Amino acid sequence: MSLNASLSIALESLNAASGALQATNNNIANANTPGYTREVPILEEALPTDLGNNINVGDGVDLVRYQSVRDELLQTQVQQETQAQSGANAQLASLQQIQPVFTTSAQDIGTDMSAFFSSVSALSTNPSSASSRQAVLTAGQNLATAFNTASNTLTSQQSSLNTQVTQDVSQINQLTQQIAALNPPIAALRDQGQDGGTLEDQQNQLILSLSKLTNISVTQSNDGVTLSTGNGTALVVGNQSYNLQTAVGSNGMTQVLDQNGINITSSISSGDLGGTIQTRDTTIPNLLTQLDTLANQFGSAVNSAQASGYDENGNAGQDLFTFPPTVPPAVAPVAGSASTITMAVTDPTLIAASSDGTAGSNGNLANLSAVQTTALPSGQTPGSAYASLVYQVGSLTANANAESTATTSSLVQLNDQINSVSGVSIDEESANLITYQQAYEAAARVVSTVQSLFSVVMAMGTAAAE
Amino acid sequence: MRVTNMLPDVQYQMQLSQQALATATQQLSTGLRVNQLSDDPTASANMVVSLADSADIDQYTSNVSTLIPQMQPADSAISSIVTALNSAVTLGTEGANGTNNTQDKQELASQVQSILTTVVGQANTAYNGVYVFGGSESTTPPFVAASTTYNSSQGTVATPLTANTALTAGSVTTISDATTGETVTFKAAAGDTVATLQQAIAGGVVAGTLSPGTTATINAQGQLTIGSNSASDGIVVSSNDSVLGTMNADPTTAVANAYAYVGNSNVNTVQVGDDLSVATNVPGNQLFTSGANVIGSLGNLITALQSGTATQIGTATNAITTALNYVDQQRVPLDNTINQLNDQESYLGQEKVTLTSQETALVGINTADAATNFSQAQLDNSAVLAAAAKVLPQTLLQYLQ
Repeated sequence: MSLNASLSIALESLNAASGALQATNNNIANANTPGYTREVPILEEALPTDLGNNINVGDGVDLVRYQSVRDELLQTQVQQETQAQSGANAQLASLQQIQPVFTTSAQDIGTDMSAFFSSVSALSTNPSSASSRQAVLTAGQNLATAFNTASNTLTSQQSSLNTQVTQDVSQINQLTQQIAALNPPIAALRDQGQDGGTLEDQQNQLILSLSKLTNISVTQSNDGVTLSTGNGTALVVGNQSYNLQTAVGSNGMTQVLDQNGINITSSISSGDLGGTIQTRDTTIPNLLTQLDTLANQFGSAVNSAQASGYDENGNAGQDLFTFPPTVPPAVAPVAGSASTITMAVTDPTLIAASSDGTAGSNGNLANLSAVQTTALPSGQTPGSAYASLVYQVGSLTANANAESTATTSSLVQLNDQINSVSGVSIDEESANLITYQQAYEAAARVVSTVQSLFSVVMAMGTAAAE
Repeated sequence: MRVTNMLPDVQYQMQLSQQALATATQQLSTGLRVNQLSDDPTASANMVVSLADSADIDQYTSNVSTLIPQMQPADSAISSIVTALNSAVTLGTEGANGTNNTQDKQELASQVQSILTTVVGQANTAYNGVYVFGGSESTTPPFVAASTTYNSSQGTVATPLTANTALTAGSVTTISDATTGETVTFKAAAGDTVATLQQAIAGGVVAGTLSPGTTATINAQGQLTIGSNSASDGIVVSSNDSVLGTMNADPTTAVANAYAYVGNSNVNTVQVGDDLSVATNVPGNQLFTSGANVIGSLGNLITALQSGTATQIGTATNAITTALNYVDQQRVPLDNTINQLNDQESYLGQEKVTLTSQETALVGINTADAATNFSQAQLDNSAVLAAAAKVLPQTLLQYLQ
């Protein structure tokens, strides 16, 4: 074997060590970069040289490529868990703003409802007292205002979520365009037998960002990654991205349409968009319906009790509350009842306390008080119906909170697992640094040795000439 | 398993322990385990029900506090009336012993008249503007001086009211008789005329509700006159029918010592417990006219003392004794109600304590538990921070230097 061959092997060795040092250097540089996947240099033995006489000798080392260390299964799990977490967080954020309205305070519906019945009971001790009559009107107006506030909070939250839908769709479209743009260069690298490396890291980060917004299905193909929505509509195929669109639906809410104009709103089940739609289209309407039903049936029951008595002037009692008229059957919820309920009268003498037409009778107040303990057409007393609403708001918030906590914990564990595969260990890279440094030094020593040998050989040549 | 970067785990653990510390701090500072609905939805819903119960208890207690002073004037008035009637019996007994001359009897009659005034005053007792013996008709004095003749303000010679004059449907005309202590209430139906009212009054006479001879006629001025046709049978008439106008007493026909009850028989009840309501008034007719005519019997005694025989005085005195016993009996339910209210006040106090402790059990946390939780959370947080401080700086590079 010639000295030249040895020098060649040493040079390859220097290249390999230098290349490995570069990978280590890159790993250390990106140790804290989100989404970075550690790279390892793939070294292979060079094909041996046949020296004749059946003697083969190794021909050094080749740095074949750099390989990013990934686990696609874990990445898919992280994407799915991120979708669930973002969905839960979106619901939690909304419910946390709704929750205070139903929490016991000086102005909540439960407190104001109790105050209304207390004022009716107080009036029974002196039905001709003007101040006690005024107190009933004030308590009734406070209760109506509490219903209005609760309803307005829900609808205002619903309106904010509606705006969020448009923003989310816009972000989704931006992300799918960026993801699609990365497919061709990644596919080209793969065609060359190379790893997608940094480009694939960037794409994975974008897919993770997309997972925070909506539920997606991810598959790999020769053209790169293919993304589709929950119902299978394509979002990214090769270098092509398909934008989602928005349109106002018949209920006044923004609907999400695919590129063909098909409404896919109901199939978006997770991510921020999924959580937002779930809260906007199911949770809040459900609470609003119950609130409207309670306001309507409570107001009707009070008005009915009023009608059975006489006011202070001896006239038949007229309605205390106004709201949209009840649609038969009486149990049918009437949209807008909670937001519009208000006192129909401002004159305290119009409270129908009397059962016999005299100003001193309190006989009909028992009917007004009985509203508190009588089941409404919904099957519950007003207090129980409100308690049920409170339970639901609390339970929905607690569930969203539990889901958010569970997915966060799960994500921490999944990221631990991903990091154990793809993460950069500074200790490991430090050790690699020493290893490759020593390899480089050793290869350089070989070059130096070969150089000495060349000098000896050259000296031999000079001596022979002399 | 490769362990690469421990920072995310450490950050997560620190976040968890700080959340736990924040929760423990909130529980300790507020004394509440449930600070928002989602902390315990079931307890929060139960709390809504419990707070409503608690508000009811507060209101029942307030009702009791209002009713006791409101009912005490009625009790005091009855007590005064009983004392006054006892005096009247004494005076009547004295007048009936046959040794008194006319002047003595006139003097006794004068004293009984003074008693009558006192009794009527007590029967018209008001508390905070409410006449306690008027039934639900409690905004005007229930006992009114009676006259024999009332004339309608409507009707003139030129356009007289007639038997065919239609009355306003739904209007109410009442004729209260001082002698019988009863009242005829006529509510006009559609198509009713003055003649219908006349028939109703005639029916009242037949039934004994009104004194014999009480009639409704059209006088020479074209007005409706309702009168007892007896100088001693006083009545009080009122009407809200605009066709008749106001029924005015003819001042020349006032009957001395005669008072008619213009209240009604209705009783108000007030709820002072979930399953307890109490009657808050005793109608004046039940106390003073229906069972035994207290005011009428005093008037009779005055008349007997002024012009009657010893026997008549004795009879009138016996009637007062009967009335006295009757009033005394009627007082018992009122006293019982006042006692019941006092008992209920104590019961409601206990109920309030029970509910408060129930509410504390639902959403509260005792200080010892809260302090222990806080201490534990503090310890956990310190441990997490200490571990982070030890672990995070550890790298191979440190040892290679």
